[in-house]
Amino acid sequence: MTESKSAASAKIPAVKATDDKRSDVSAPQPAKKDAVNTSEVNEDSDNSPLNVFLITFKAARTQWVARQVIIMISLLYRLGVGLGPYSGKGTPPMYGDFEAQRHWMEITYHLPVREWYWYDLQYWGLDYPPVTAYHSWILGWIGSKVNSSWFDLDTSRGCEDPNLISYMRMTVVVSDLAVYIPAVSMFIRWKMKSAKLSPFHHSISTAAILLQPSLILIDHGHFQYNSVMLGLALLGFTNILKDKLVIGSIFFVLALAFKQMALYYALPVFAYLLGICIFPRINIPRFCSLAVSVLISFAAILAPISFSKGFAIRDVFTQSLQVVIRVFPFARGLWEDKVANFWCAVNTFVKLKTLLPSETLQRLSLVMTLISVLPAFTLILLHPRKKALIWGVSASAWGFFLFSFQVHEKSVLLPLMPTTLLLVGETDLNVQSCIYWINNIAMFSLFPLIRRDGLVMQFFTIFFLWNWLMKSFSKAPKYFLGQLVVISSYLAVAALLILELTVPPPAQYPDIWVVANVTLCFGCFFLFAVWNNYKLYKACITK
Amino acid sequence: MALKLGSLLPALRYAVIASICFKLLLFPAYTSTDFEVHRNWLAITHSLPLSKWYYEDLSEWTLDYPPFFAYFEYALSQVAAYVDPGMVVVQNLNYHSPETVYFQRTSVIVSEMVLVYALQSYLTSFPENTRQTAYAIAMSIYFSPGFLIIDSIHFQYNAMLFGLLIFSIVKIKQGKLLMGGILFAVLLCFKHIFLYLSPAYFVFLLRAYCLDISNLKLSKPWAAIRLRNCIYLGSSIIAVALLAFGPFLYMGQLPQLLQRLFPFSRGLCHAYWAPNVWALYSALDRTLFMVFKRFLNDPVYAEDKSSLTRGLVGVTSFSVLPDVQPRATFMLTLLSQILSLIPLLITPSFDNFMSALTLCGYASFLFGWHVHEKAILLVIIPFSFLSLKDRRYLTPFYLLTVSGYISLFPLIFTSAEAFIKYLYTFTWIFVFYNVFGGLAPVRFPKRVFLLDRIARVFLLGFIPLLLFAGLYERLPVLRNYEFLKLMMISSYCSVGIIGSFIGFSWLYFFA
Repeated sequence: MTESKSAASAKIPAVKATDDKRSDVSAPQPAKKDAVNTSEVNEDSDNSPLNVFLITFKAARTQWVARQVIIMISLLYRLGVGLGPYSGKGTPPMYGDFEAQRHWMEITYHLPVREWYWYDLQYWGLDYPPVTAYHSWILGWIGSKVNSSWFDLDTSRGCEDPNLISYMRMTVVVSDLAVYIPAVSMFIRWKMKSAKLSPFHHSISTAAILLQPSLILIDHGHFQYNSVMLGLALLGFTNILKDKLVIGSIFFVLALAFKQMALYYALPVFAYLLGICIFPRINIPRFCSLAVSVLISFAAILAPISFSKGFAIRDVFTQSLQVVIRVFPFARGLWEDKVANFWCAVNTFVKLKTLLPSETLQRLSLVMTLISVLPAFTLILLHPRKKALIWGVSASAWGFFLFSFQVHEKSVLLPLMPTTLLLVGETDLNVQSCIYWINNIAMFSLFPLIRRDGLVMQFFTIFFLWNWLMKSFSKAPKYFLGQLVVISSYLAVAALLILELTVPPPAQYPDIWVVANVTLCFGCFFLFAVWNNYKLYKACITK
Repeated sequence: MALKLGSLLPALRYAVIASICFKLLLFPAYTSTDFEVHRNWLAITHSLPLSKWYYEDLSEWTLDYPPFFAYFEYALSQVAAYVDPGMVVVQNLNYHSPETVYFQRTSVIVSEMVLVYALQSYLTSFPENTRQTAYAIAMSIYFSPGFLIIDSIHFQYNAMLFGLLIFSIVKIKQGKLLMGGILFAVLLCFKHIFLYLSPAYFVFLLRAYCLDISNLKLSKPWAAIRLRNCIYLGSSIIAVALLAFGPFLYMGQLPQLLQRLFPFSRGLCHAYWAPNVWALYSALDRTLFMVFKRFLNDPVYAEDKSSLTRGLVGVTSFSVLPDVQPRATFMLTLLSQILSLIPLLITPSFDNFMSALTLCGYASFLFGWHVHEKAILLVIIPFSFLSLKDRRYLTPFYLLTVSGYISLFPLIFTSAEAFIKYLYTFTWIFVFYNVFGGLAPVRFPKRVFLLDRIARVFLLGFIPLLLFAGLYERLPVLRNYEFLKLMMISSYCSVGIIGSFIGFSWLYFFA
């Protein structure tokens, strides 16, 4: 602590000198330095490494520079992670997510639109909504201009040309830069303005969100475009919070049409929009404009595919239905891989799949999901407050993650995004520590996946980097129960990581470490979801 | 090392941790032949007796660094043999197991701590509240894209060696001249490329340590010699040299060793074109050749004699302009160095020493024989210590760093790492352009505005240049002119570096 302070004081003169130069005063001003020094100590009682770095840029005029530097550095770490392997590298015949994304670029570029959702469904058939297909089409078009062999129909399957890999990695970075990073900046700017926080906090929050390790690892290591959907959804939230309701709802529709998983957020967003149409007085024009814009944007997104075969009612219907069937695969089981949600955790003790028929399980899952989301929905509907929206979205996403159908371990990114955003402008140390904690648990829940991808070194590096920058391990909740949960779960995580990396599982239980991981993470996620709902309740009820 | 990390100044420690995190991510990155060079040296020093080190030639990458570096490799190989015994077998050419990559990359990161502690000693040589500019300089050196590109991706141990150089500079700054001299001698026994900087050391130590001009009388000129200092310095340098070369001297292998260290059979320009005077000279030659071929029907110009862009080794010949002899480049270098030493001989101040050091680096880089583009660090690192002296030094500093670092780009040609080199270098320029601009004191309000503007426009010119170079392969018209891309980059960079050389010399000699 004292060391950090001395670093701070050592760096402050640099800022002073910056000021001096700008005002063309070259004489030293000790008095001013002292002033900076005291305000420094008062304002940021926590001297995390990030604070020390950013103090160089603390002078108000250079905040713009600081933010650009943070974005560049977060991009550098993304590129660094991208040097590592990706999912399904060198594993024919199916490969992994990387090949799926590349394959979609191949088919959208080469095939007419009417075949997009029909072509060779056994080999990574397109099963994401239309905006993903359009996104793939654009990237496939550009990529084919660079090197057409990367995306040749059928013959390019399993292509692992190093330049193709660089191109694909670059498309993720550019998508991040085009959607997610502006969305985060916009949200933080809104939050700063509404909570009247300093631009210095702005920079710190930007770094905290942009370096969030789980998203970097999944998008830039494992390989996916989650940040596009998350960015679109966040643009939706931010515009809604800025009272640009129509634009916000259009962005949210785009997010849904990029990846159906944005449904995790849909109920509280719907409740908020409905709520502000009802309270304090009923506002029919607002409701109509929202309804119309949502319907029109959905229709516009779906139209190219629906009408691709012709304008006959039957063709339009079969095309649209095929999109829905592909996007919502009810034919698949309740869950696939091991994932830290309710069903998988219960399955450790009771073999659900053999006990109950699949349809009953589906219905049960639907009911439980709705129950888990109900508090968030009702609270937001009755109290459509800006400060409660993100809490509500987060609570709903945790509910979906824990209880809904066909959840992947990667889906933890969805609840994690709004949860991490709660850090922005948050001064309560208890809240901060809970958010850091759940981020780390979520990161741990991704470990089996990351390990399969061969990204263990990248996992630990990014994991360490973020926690170290935020000094998150030194922030524990102030009450005893919280401390107990956080510390005991961290100990369990450490023990499981060591076991998983060093001890081969016993022959009769080959999945024992993964099952332990899933069970532990479910417990933590569940506790967090309960706490999240409680905080949401407080945010809605208190003045 | 990890334990001692606690003794670092916090800002430096944080920088080290953040940077190590990034370098860990670079482990899977592309490695150049230098990776295999150093692997081979591990194998040679581990498996062969001392007497065979400088004779072994199974691999084409023979040991051609001075003995201290060989000892360093020997020490590393003791650990390497535990990590992966296959790594230290001489016959395992191009051995590239994951353990080898992890071990070698880690050894670079650990050896970089020498640089970190050197910078720490530089920072602590200032009183606590006056470190602001020193911090900026130390950070700019520690995060230098040169070290990232050459050490962490391409693979070498430059940061450690420049750490030694900085240790020596700091000792001299503190007035411990003997210690500075000894450290420099040690450095020379690690890598002899630092010989290029030795004239400045020689003159400075001679003038400030061995002579006492105030005692100079025409009747008794020898009274000005501080005999005791001479003996200290001479004996310690001889001791260092004996430690390094003694065993080989004893075995009678000195001629073979020297032949390995100084291979004079190489061409004027390296495989890539280091951005120096000769790059401009050969660019002019190529241009004239193209023009003559086009407009003169002389059969002399039908055949392309020069092969500058090809091959590692080989004597270069020019098509139109007269060929350049090694002796000529040597004389030019020496002349330019001697000029820079005159002010140092008159006033042996620390600033003059640093300027002379920088100019020695400039001279050898700009006029030297077979200069490698990596040698630009020999100019950039000493210059960094002067960059914040006052505002006027910034323009040549920007010109030098931007041109110098961009000239390193062709070292990394794989697409995955390309984005990293662009973004890292751009970030470095962006950060330090902003930080330095705010820190440099304005001592002389009247500046040559026009030159600053020209320099800025010149630097902006790199953007279209790099875009053009990036799109080069896509333009079918230019495919027949494969050399043109490298020639353009290196010529443009050399204009920048020569410009910074002129600007810096002007400040040193006349301002």
